[in-house]
Amino acid sequence: MKNYLLTRKEILHLARLANLYLADEEIEKYRRQLSETVNYVKNLSELNTDNVAATNQTTNLENVTFIDGEINERQLSQEEALSGTKQKKNGYFVVKRII
Amino acid sequence: MEVLGKSLLELKALVDEKKIKTEEIFHYFLQRIKKYDPKLKAFMTVVDRDRSGLPIAVKDNYCTKSVRTTASSKVLDDYLPQYESTVTEKLWKNGFSLLGKTNMDAWAHGASTETSDYMLTKNPWDLTRYPGGSSGGSAAALSAYLTPAAMGSDTGGSIRHPAAWCGVVGLKPTYGRVSRYGLISMGSSFDCPGPMTLTVKDNAYLLGLLAGKDRFDATTTNTAIPDYVKNLDTPQRFIIGLAESYFENVDNEIKSRLNQTITVLKKLGHQIKPVKILSPKYAISVYTVLQRSEVSSNLSRYDGVRYANGRHFFGAEAKRRTMLGTYSLSYGYYDAFYKRAQKVRTLVINNFLAIFRDVDLIIGPNTPVTALKIGEFEKYPFFGEIMDALNEPASVAGIPAISLPIGLDRQGLPIGMQIMGNYFREDLILNLAHQFEQETEFFGVIKKGIERYQ
Repeated sequence: MKNYLLTRKEILHLARLANLYLADEEIEKYRRQLSETVNYVKNLSELNTDNVAATNQTTNLENVTFIDGEINERQLSQEEALSGTKQKKNGYFVVKRII
Repeated sequence: MEVLGKSLLELKALVDEKKIKTEEIFHYFLQRIKKYDPKLKAFMTVVDRDRSGLPIAVKDNYCTKSVRTTASSKVLDDYLPQYESTVTEKLWKNGFSLLGKTNMDAWAHGASTETSDYMLTKNPWDLTRYPGGSSGGSAAALSAYLTPAAMGSDTGGSIRHPAAWCGVVGLKPTYGRVSRYGLISMGSSFDCPGPMTLTVKDNAYLLGLLAGKDRFDATTTNTAIPDYVKNLDTPQRFIIGLAESYFENVDNEIKSRLNQTITVLKKLGHQIKPVKILSPKYAISVYTVLQRSEVSSNLSRYDGVRYANGRHFFGAEAKRRTMLGTYSLSYGYYDAFYKRAQKVRTLVINNFLAIFRDVDLIIGPNTPVTALKIGEFEKYPFFGEIMDALNEPASVAGIPAISLPIGLDRQGLPIGMQIMGNYFREDLILNLAHQFEQETEFFGVIKKGIERYQ
C-alpha cells in the first residue's frame, strides 16, 4: 500500500475536534509522526477478518449494574466536588459562555 | 537491625514478631530516599503522614485522597483527589502506609519515563540510562531499595518493561482481576493495576490483597481468588510454550540468557514446547489504534473546569496520542482503523486461547534490548512503541504476564523474561516464577541491584 501523508488541513481539523492547541511547528511535526503511525498500522489489513466479530472487552461480562436503592458511597458533598476548581460562584462551577 | 534488602514479607514478619516497629522501617526508607532520590528522581511526592503500616510506593496515577496526584502531567499539577482509589484503599486497610508517589511517563504514555512533564527518572543500574516505563519511578525506587514494594499500572507493558530494565519482579494481572477505580484512565480496555516487588512471594501476597470484584469498577469479575501465597508451596510441573515469534529482532545476549533459563526450567522438570504465536507486529497495531482511541476519549474530560488545569497544559506525547485517536475514531476512518483493530484483537485472543489448549504457560523475552542510554529512544522508529512489542500481545488479549530478572548483560544491565498465562491463571505464573527464583535467585540480579545502594 502506498505511503500516506496526512495534510496540514487534516491535522488542523483533528486538533479542532480534539480541542487541542497546536503551535505552528507542531503541525508539521505531527503531520510526519501521525503519518508514520498510520502507515504502520495498515498491516492490520494483511489479516483476513471476514466473519470475525469485533472485541469490545476481554472479560465477557454482561449486564453489570448497580442494584436499585443501593446507597452510593462515592457521592461527594457539594463542597468536596468544588474543592479542586479555580473558578466557582455561588456553589457552582464557572464555565465558558456557550451561546 | 539490618533492614537492607529485606523483602516485604520478611519486614512484615519482623513487625509481626515485634522485632522492629513500622516507624523504624519508615524512618529507614525515608532516610534512603533523602540520600539517593536526588540523583534517581524516582519520587514525585514523598509522604510522611502515617507510619503505622509497612511503607509502599505508589505510581502517581492512583488517586490518593488529599495527596497530590499528577500522573506526571502538568495538567494535574495541583490536583488533590477527593477520593481514594480502590487499590490504595485496600492497601491502607491491610497494614500499609503511603511512602510516596512515583514518577511516570505523563498519563502513562511511554516506555522511558522521559515523557514525564517534571523530570527524568534514572536507571539505578546506570544513571545515564532510562529506567523504562511507564512505571519507571516505581521500578527504579524498588531496584535501589528506596521502597520494599511498589504499585505500578500496565496498559501495554508499563509494569513489565521497567521491571525488566531495572531488574525487579513486575506482574500485570488479568484485565478485570484488580480494580481500576481511582486509577487515572489511559486505555480503559487495557489498564491493569499490578504489584512490583523484590520477590515472587511478595508479589503473590499483594495480588491476593488487591484482587477481586469491586462494585466501583464494572469490569472486575467474581472469579474465585486462589491463595496465591500458599499455592507457591506446591511446585507444579508445566508444559511451557516457547514464543518463537518473539525472538525476532531481539538482542543476542537476551536470547542466550533465555536459552540458559530454558535449561533451568527443563532441569526443574518442565516440558518446553515451541508454539506459534501471531507476530507481535499485529498486536502493536491493534494496541496503537485502540489505545490511542481510548486515550483521546479519556483525556477529553480534562478541561480545567472542575479541577486542575486546561488543555493547553498537555505535553507533546499526550497530544500526539489524542490526535491519532481522534483520527482513528473519526468519520471515514472508523471502519478502516478502529473496527478492524477490534477484529484483529479477536484474532489475537483466539490465537492465545488455542495455544493455551496445548500448554499451561508461555515464556519469551519482554524487551528487545536492555536499558537504552538517555536520548537513544529517538533513534527508534515509532517513538519507542517497538520497545513494548513483546508486551502488547498480552495486553491486547487481557491475559496475565509477569516479568522476572534472568541475568545481566555484558554492560551489567538487567535482562527480563516474561511468563504469560491463560485468563485468571496468575497462580500458575507465580508458581513457575517462584520455582525459578528458588532455583536461581534470579542469578543474583535483585541482590546486586540493592548492593549498589548500600
